Amino acid sequence: MLVQDDLLAPDVVRDPYGYFARLRETDPVHWNDRWGGWLVTRYDDVVRAFRDPERLSSDRMAHFQQELTEHDRERLHVLIKYFSKWLVFTDPPYHTRVRMLVNKAFTPTSVERLRPRVRQIVHELLDAVEGRGHMEFVREFAFHLPVIVISEYLGVPPEDREAVKEWSDETSRIFFIRADDPTRRERSQAGLVKLLEYFEPLIHDRRRNPRDDLVSALVQAEERGDLLSHDELLATCTVLLFAGHETTTNLLANGLLALLQHRDQWELLRHDPSLNRSATEELLRYDGPVKATFRWAKVDVELGGKTVRAGDRMLLVLASANRDPEKFPDPDRVDITRNPNPHVAFGHGIHVCLGAPLARLEGQEAFAALVQRFPHMRLASDELEYHPTIVSRALAELHVEW
Amino acid sequence: MRRLRIEVDYHRCVGSSICVLTAARTFALNEQGQSAVLDPAGDPLETVLEAAEGCPTMAITVFDADTGEQLFP
Repeated sequence: MLVQDDLLAPDVVRDPYGYFARLRETDPVHWNDRWGGWLVTRYDDVVRAFRDPERLSSDRMAHFQQELTEHDRERLHVLIKYFSKWLVFTDPPYHTRVRMLVNKAFTPTSVERLRPRVRQIVHELLDAVEGRGHMEFVREFAFHLPVIVISEYLGVPPEDREAVKEWSDETSRIFFIRADDPTRRERSQAGLVKLLEYFEPLIHDRRRNPRDDLVSALVQAEERGDLLSHDELLATCTVLLFAGHETTTNLLANGLLALLQHRDQWELLRHDPSLNRSATEELLRYDGPVKATFRWAKVDVELGGKTVRAGDRMLLVLASANRDPEKFPDPDRVDITRNPNPHVAFGHGIHVCLGAPLARLEGQEAFAALVQRFPHMRLASDELEYHPTIVSRALAELHVEW
Repeated sequence: MRRLRIEVDYHRCVGSSICVLTAARTFALNEQGQSAVLDPAGDPLETVLEAAEGCPTMAITVFDADTGEQLFP
């Protein structure tokens, strides 16, 4: 069987679900020679891989460095140094120590306190466009909500938000692989340097004048000495700021699109706003923000009847696991009452998304407000374009009218 | 001392290990990599509640075993 092996081919980017469904049916742990790694597409295999952090590493920088020349390693040393301390790219015991430090701030109970404020921001953003009758949802809503929420939580003042967002977007270039951009590594490092330079005085200020924000809490952990070094503190500030941006934007845009394309579900949510929690879970499952995530085998591992060799990389395809008919009845249908809904849109295991409770909350408040305030909203264009990346499911634009 | 009954919702548990790291004498991972109650009296009540609250998916419910009162969430 001839399998399309270009993960950035226009038809794969447009409809990853059809592409990965064929792989899941024919070769669920598939070696993709062009990309140079394994594609894991069955729910059970993806979950099994997530639950095996001892053998399947998240240490992306260790592998990234090996691909670089000595010259490039030197040139990108700041990027390597700090990304090596980002929770998403680390293994235990470092990951365990830092995760446990920041976990308290992101538990469902902790973020629930932010709900009134998130609701207020949602309505303010919608107030600004309501009278106009149309908007480009990605740029005018989905970009803003996550940035405002995480900035306020961290302690970044409103006047700095725009600059910080820009640096964070620059930093992201290296991850959301845009193959057509040869300068992405340098620009990514430049963005990160800006973020580090920004956080240094903010941290200094919170050391002298602690406030009720996350940077202050992390500074207190650093001051205990044994919990968090200064570089780890800087790295953690940048990753927390960064991690909620593009992903939550995609969650909101993909979710709104799915609701608009499934009018019965839109009406269902409109008539029963209490469904906003299960609706958000279903939208995450059906068309979540992240298509896949990486792991590297530390030793030979048997998975789905294949032998993954030590050193091999693999893509755990969340977008496929979440549509696996072995796990989800009628998986290609949107059913906002689906229960149980054990999707893996936020990953699984020790690396399960730290910010998931906050992202959920933002989705719940946004979707509930959209259907209530704009009952007649519809798509203004059938043309949908996605950014050509392997890991994220990112709409370039989403034009809606009402 | 208060006796506890602890329930784990396996549809919700994603194996984050937070509960095990917080209250290691109460929780352990089972063969499927999900949380299992090792000993409901393994840790002090505050530690068990901290573990339950730390769970990213609210998979843990804690009851007073004698009165049936729900202590978390």
